[in-house]
Amino acid sequence: MHDSLMQLMYGFGIALQPANLMWCVFGVLVGNLIGVLPGMGPLSTISMLLPITYVIAPVPAILMLAGIFYGSQYGGAIGAILLNLPSHPPHAVTCLDGYPLTLQGKGGTALGITMMASFFAASVGIVVMIFLSPLLVQAANSFGPADTCAIMLLGLLAGATMARGSPLKGVAMTIFGLLCGAVGTDEMTSTARYTLGVTELRDGIELGGLTMGLFGVADFLVSVNRTTVSPSHAKVRMRDMRPSGAEMKRAFWPMLRGTGIGTLFGALPGTGPTITTFIAYALERRWSRTPEQFGKGMLEGVAAPEAASHSKTQVDFIPTMSLGIPGDAVMALILGALIIKGIQPGPQLIEDHPDIFWGLIASFWIGNVLLVILNVPLIGIWVRLLQVPYRFLFPSALFFIAVGVYSTRNNLFDVAIVAAFGVIGAILLALEFPLSPIVLGFVLGPMLEPNFRRAMLLSRGDLSVFVTRPVAAGFVAASALLAMAQVVAWWRGRRRVAASAASR
Amino acid sequence: MNKLTKDRLGGALLVATGAGAAVAGVGYGMGSLREMGSGFYPVALGVLLALIGAVLLATASRNPDAHLAAAAAETAHLAGPAVQWRGWLCILGGALSFVVLGQHGGLVPASFVSVFVAALGDRGNSLRDAMLLAALMTLLGVVVFHYGLHLLLPLFQW
Repeated sequence: MHDSLMQLMYGFGIALQPANLMWCVFGVLVGNLIGVLPGMGPLSTISMLLPITYVIAPVPAILMLAGIFYGSQYGGAIGAILLNLPSHPPHAVTCLDGYPLTLQGKGGTALGITMMASFFAASVGIVVMIFLSPLLVQAANSFGPADTCAIMLLGLLAGATMARGSPLKGVAMTIFGLLCGAVGTDEMTSTARYTLGVTELRDGIELGGLTMGLFGVADFLVSVNRTTVSPSHAKVRMRDMRPSGAEMKRAFWPMLRGTGIGTLFGALPGTGPTITTFIAYALERRWSRTPEQFGKGMLEGVAAPEAASHSKTQVDFIPTMSLGIPGDAVMALILGALIIKGIQPGPQLIEDHPDIFWGLIASFWIGNVLLVILNVPLIGIWVRLLQVPYRFLFPSALFFIAVGVYSTRNNLFDVAIVAAFGVIGAILLALEFPLSPIVLGFVLGPMLEPNFRRAMLLSRGDLSVFVTRPVAAGFVAASALLAMAQVVAWWRGRRRVAASAASR
Repeated sequence: MNKLTKDRLGGALLVATGAGAAVAGVGYGMGSLREMGSGFYPVALGVLLALIGAVLLATASRNPDAHLAAAAAETAHLAGPAVQWRGWLCILGGALSFVVLGQHGGLVPASFVSVFVAALGDRGNSLRDAMLLAALMTLLGVVVFHYGLHLLLPLFQW
């Protein structure tokens, strides 16, 4: 433990270096801005700024990307509370009690509570990371390819089933993502797969192109001429944001509970932030002595989900950094960015690149401090920005997307990929398919296949290796349990619906 | 489009994609489990996808899925008909015009036309609005991307 603390000090030293700090600030600012603007989530933003990470060193790159991630969480809360506009799905829950609070003139307090919850959750998340990561790394060092495969399987399955929407569709999208990852030249045999004769596809589909299409353009296609604007009731001044002592006391336990949920779900690969915030809200309501007050402006209804969301954000990094298994689409994207820079997240990351790992952890704290400092004066600007009409935002965003994606390989073809996946994404959205599992599959696919191959090579084609090796067996069992739980839940759901239909 | 149709279409799409992927994959050489060829993994995935599509088709029903709350919250701020030909054509047109004009024109024409066309997708944008936005974005693009970040796309090229 003492060793970990020393490492943390080292990490602070890294994160506070001016060059790194600058990129952290940039990421946090941009993330906050994006979080405030509807339609562009951390996924799209990280995709857009991915090209920048190609030219700067790994440490500032990851600090920037992480900053975008949790900066956007903050921004999302602002939009949700002040304007009843959940810029991204996880903040939909915050609207439920946040907006009524604004209508009561207590918007500032709600924001203040959110900031506190975030800071608290981040601190807890950091502590967890400090203790958990070295343990995970130790365990992971004994993993063979079959074990790694099994873990990835669990991660993929969890990501597919716990995201929004039907788990069956989630699994389908994960497989679709895996297939997209297979496009390109097979490294083992140099066969060109699914390239349809197009030379540019020999290197595979560009990650930024896929994500910008699926989450940027698809969103534009779905939202164009359809966004509604709600009038702004936001009149927030600086002093409004300091919650009273009584309010802080009220928010304390929900904050704690929310942090617990967020930490738990964050450490599990595959669970999304949306589910986490919903569960935190639902639990808080069940716990409360006045559940009927929820939805009318209960501070607890804001504190718990926000704490859950922020702590999950931090803890999300654990499986990604120490095992190389991303917890959700955003983590997958950050993982992809690191791989492009030649850094393989996984057990050896802490040893090989302690500056990245510990610098990242230290930056969470620094980033949160920055967010608090920045948000106090900037709140007025964010509110004004929320008023920019969507009809100006999306063409501009499209432009930035085009330039950004082009700059990854200096290839205009990638912009066409964006358009293609935009159409694909829009169709999938219309058919109620979740899109995040696609990214998960796409990033993990190129790692899954070689590991599976290697596992089969080592076991001479014997599939039972997945149940004879203890670690692999454990994860396979967990996956099986998860799958069964989903089937049971679906079956029960069907029976309930059929029963209620019959009784009518 | 009600839920039944969505599930049926979705299922059909999955079956088609999976089958297509599998058929193409077989051509890459399957090999054995012990020595997997290029096609093994894609074929397995394709078959799996098609199977899921079949299950979806079989279990398609009018009843909404249990996970409705989250999905509903996401589109709560959208109103109006889902079909938006004008919007769709302009957005995709904008993206594609960037590709074409980037190649045969350069950054400046590509930026201007793509933003212009995309902006016209919104019914609230007049021709003047679209042109002003396009001009603004082009200026921004030239300053930030060309002079600032040294983007490799030339300002004008033929």
